[in-house]
Amino acid sequence: MTIQGLVMLALLAAVLVWFGLILRMLVRSLGLGRPEKRFDRWGARIWSVVVFVAAHARVLSQPAGLGHFAIFWGFIFITLGTIEHILGMVFPGFGFERLFGATAAGVISWLQDVLGLAVLVAIVVSLVRRFVFKPLRLRIDDPKARREAVLILCLIFVLIVLMYGVKGAEIVTGRIDPRTAPVSAVAARLIGGAADPHLLGDVLAWIHHLIIFFFLIYIPFSKHIHILGAIPNILLRNLGPAGTLSRMDFDDETAEKFGVSDVRDFTWKQLLDLYACTECGRCQAACPAYLTDKPLSPFRVIHMLRGHFVADRAALLSGGPEAEAQPIIGASASEEEIWACTTCGACMQECPPFIEHVQKIVDLRRYLVMTESRFPSEVQPVFRNMEVNYNPWSMGYTTRADWAAGLDVPLAAERKQFDVLYWVGCAGSFDARGQSVARAMVDLLRRAEVDFAILGVEEMCCGETARRMGNEYLAQTLIEANIEVLKKYRFNRILLACPHGLNSFRVEYPRFGYEVPAVHHSEFLLELLREGKLAPAAKRAGRGAYHDSCYLGRYNGVISQPREMLARAGVDNLAEFGRRGMRSFCCGAGGGRMWMEETIGTRINEARVDEALGLGVDTIYTACPFCTTMFEDGLKARGREEQVAVKDIAEIF
Amino acid sequence: MTGDILIFGEVRNGQMKKVAAELVSGARTIAAGTGGAIDAVLVGRGAAAEAQKLSTLGLRRIAVIDDDLTEKYSTEGYAKVIADLFGEAGYGYVLLGATAMGRDLGARAVAKTDGVMFSDCVDLRFENGACVARRPVYAGKLYVDIAPAGERPVFITIRPNNLPPASAEGGSAEIAERPSGLTREMIRAVATEIVPLAGGRPDVTEADVIVSGGRALKESADFRLLEELADLLGGAVGASRAAVDAGLAPQTLQVGQTGKVVNPKLYIACGISGAIQHLAGMRTSKVIVAINKDPAAPIFEKATYGIVGDLFEVVPVLSEEIKKIL
Repeated sequence: MTIQGLVMLALLAAVLVWFGLILRMLVRSLGLGRPEKRFDRWGARIWSVVVFVAAHARVLSQPAGLGHFAIFWGFIFITLGTIEHILGMVFPGFGFERLFGATAAGVISWLQDVLGLAVLVAIVVSLVRRFVFKPLRLRIDDPKARREAVLILCLIFVLIVLMYGVKGAEIVTGRIDPRTAPVSAVAARLIGGAADPHLLGDVLAWIHHLIIFFFLIYIPFSKHIHILGAIPNILLRNLGPAGTLSRMDFDDETAEKFGVSDVRDFTWKQLLDLYACTECGRCQAACPAYLTDKPLSPFRVIHMLRGHFVADRAALLSGGPEAEAQPIIGASASEEEIWACTTCGACMQECPPFIEHVQKIVDLRRYLVMTESRFPSEVQPVFRNMEVNYNPWSMGYTTRADWAAGLDVPLAAERKQFDVLYWVGCAGSFDARGQSVARAMVDLLRRAEVDFAILGVEEMCCGETARRMGNEYLAQTLIEANIEVLKKYRFNRILLACPHGLNSFRVEYPRFGYEVPAVHHSEFLLELLREGKLAPAAKRAGRGAYHDSCYLGRYNGVISQPREMLARAGVDNLAEFGRRGMRSFCCGAGGGRMWMEETIGTRINEARVDEALGLGVDTIYTACPFCTTMFEDGLKARGREEQVAVKDIAEIF
Repeated sequence: MTGDILIFGEVRNGQMKKVAAELVSGARTIAAGTGGAIDAVLVGRGAAAEAQKLSTLGLRRIAVIDDDLTEKYSTEGYAKVIADLFGEAGYGYVLLGATAMGRDLGARAVAKTDGVMFSDCVDLRFENGACVARRPVYAGKLYVDIAPAGERPVFITIRPNNLPPASAEGGSAEIAERPSGLTREMIRAVATEIVPLAGGRPDVTEADVIVSGGRALKESADFRLLEELADLLGGAVGASRAAVDAGLAPQTLQVGQTGKVVNPKLYIACGISGAIQHLAGMRTSKVIVAINKDPAAPIFEKATYGIVGDLFEVVPVLSEEIKKIL
């Protein structure tokens, strides 16, 4: 072993031990969080890694993802070469040629060479993108985030150039065959005249390896920690429906607070999310709040939370359970940010490493609402109304079924057993606009001779909004009360004209022990049309567009059904929004925003209405009472309510 | 502690609030049971003149306090004045209006006296030797009746417009001006100025009459039509969320779910469609008059009287006709 080899061995051992200690600290830091079960369905989990890590399925959904793909795979092969080279310095004679044979070693070398070029191109494109085009999604007010990104890009660039230098020198000295390294062969021609190509190669290799060692130690403390965090985060991602929130346990009498106020209140998986963020900013470019100039960006939320966690973790790890954790709200997340979220889930849909933003924001709301009792003043009457009258408006609970007066709608209390329970919901019961949809539904159910009933005054708010506003206690009270009522009757399906209620019954009620197939009216009406139980409406002239509700499309995957239902019912010639389906843009009413004032920036519903007006349509079709209200308000604000109609899909017959 | 009763006659801008006469009728209910006398206290500028209005209502004494330190309302100063009077005469009951001032003052004053507080009551009766007060709970779904346990003075705030104003009983109360006994050091904060929002009109939450406008109003200048009508009726001007969003009216005037919740005797909705967000804020108004071009507007379902027509035609006619009557 040469002296050079000994020095390298010592250095390598030191760096690996150091890196090992850092990894240990990172794993222990996750242990600061509360428990969460993520260790089931291993087959699906490993498949996730294949699809979303190896194949980059989400990363490649945007053109810029190609650059990441090149850097990722380029680096895997280049790292193989680095390992080979370092081990070769320590153990002379070590090499892939000896290990795998000349052909395989030649292929690896050739791939390093060619992919290296792709990495260089990707880095140049990235830098140009970052500094010339300045895309919206990379915008952040923390200069540290940008410095880190630029430093890492530049270092990778230098590493590749050094790699070509090292391999070029090895070509000159005859150690590798130029046919296995076409790009390095060009470098070799440039180096050809050097006085001592051996020495030059060694010097370049040392610089290269020292940078690699620096990287190993630097990465865990930079945004590039995602190299360590993203893969486990994808492995342990939420495989269930995206529209779930954790169920809180109120029977725990020792609980001193509810929700999240410091990092220890998050689960370990929520903390792992923070290590997984690549700061690509795709979430921010899809966020309705960010795009309308609210003080919220999901990118920034995660960036700030990670900074908070990193600053806090050393003291918490050494201090034990008694150590004081720093409060998050006010320091790393503002109340305005926390309340600006519509919980539309667009951020989570875009996120390549599957970070779960909404649960964190709701957890912070839970703390504000249930521990601190701090929330926007408009929210107070909403909570009170839900507590007292079981609906968000102050309408008396005894008037819930008044809309059905004279329609002779069958009541569950009288029928006991029936096929379909039509859950009317608060909007259908109390809002004049929603009542017209409810009446249309009753008419359609009658025409199709469906055996149905409603709960009437026994129905209460489903609890969805309260949950998303952080009032888990109120939500659970409502959910449990509804379940008690529902258990009294026998029926096969529950039918809803509200995606928020649908999400509740599909995703949330089962977690409270109540499972019944829930069907949205778009699916149900489609079924009736297919079976011929419902006749199509008259063909209509004009041009419309269908807006995907977040909780119907993105959260529950009901995307083709309303479109097919409209087409079968006689509404064709639909224009499509640019942002649609899984990537639809929120109307602005989710997450309790329906009940809050929107005073900062532009209005989300007006932004969406502008998009609709740009399509030149005369009708906007909706499948959600919130969306209907938001579109109608937005059209009024634009003075276009006379020209453009908003229709629920049940209102076309 | 005696069976005597003290009522607080709230004076604002030199005018005594009409709830004072309603408090007297509440005090008579109690006095009928305890056999005690009824006194009143008026504090602030113009108190002496306003005290005359109570003098024929069968009161024993009216204390009037009006000096530099009581010119502007301060919780601490006014509470001390009440507590001092209380300490001298040993009242069994103190009645205040459940107004912004009464709620603020009652709580502070009762704390100085070791008494009990019945807040936001709507009715009183005397039963088994004690006053029983009724107050709504759960957003008016239920009433609870509360009575004091044991021998302690009781402070009661009573919502305006719930008890009948006391009628004159003749006699003339002794009106005694007295110093406040306050020093500057006792008052740590005063309301230096009360800024009226809309040209001296009452606040929407306090007004008996509200004339509200929606987005049918094209520009903020159109609100003058409503202001004229509101001024004729001594009412406030309100606005729907749509009108506020469109920048036609300030947010302070907004009536509805995310604005103010109002409960006037008369609510005139002009060019308001009646979205549930608005109804949630005004549907408990005693009489609702809706003016709207669209006969299908949901507001008509809640309205006591509906006028299908353009508010720009209807409101001026209404104002003209009201001028003739007044």
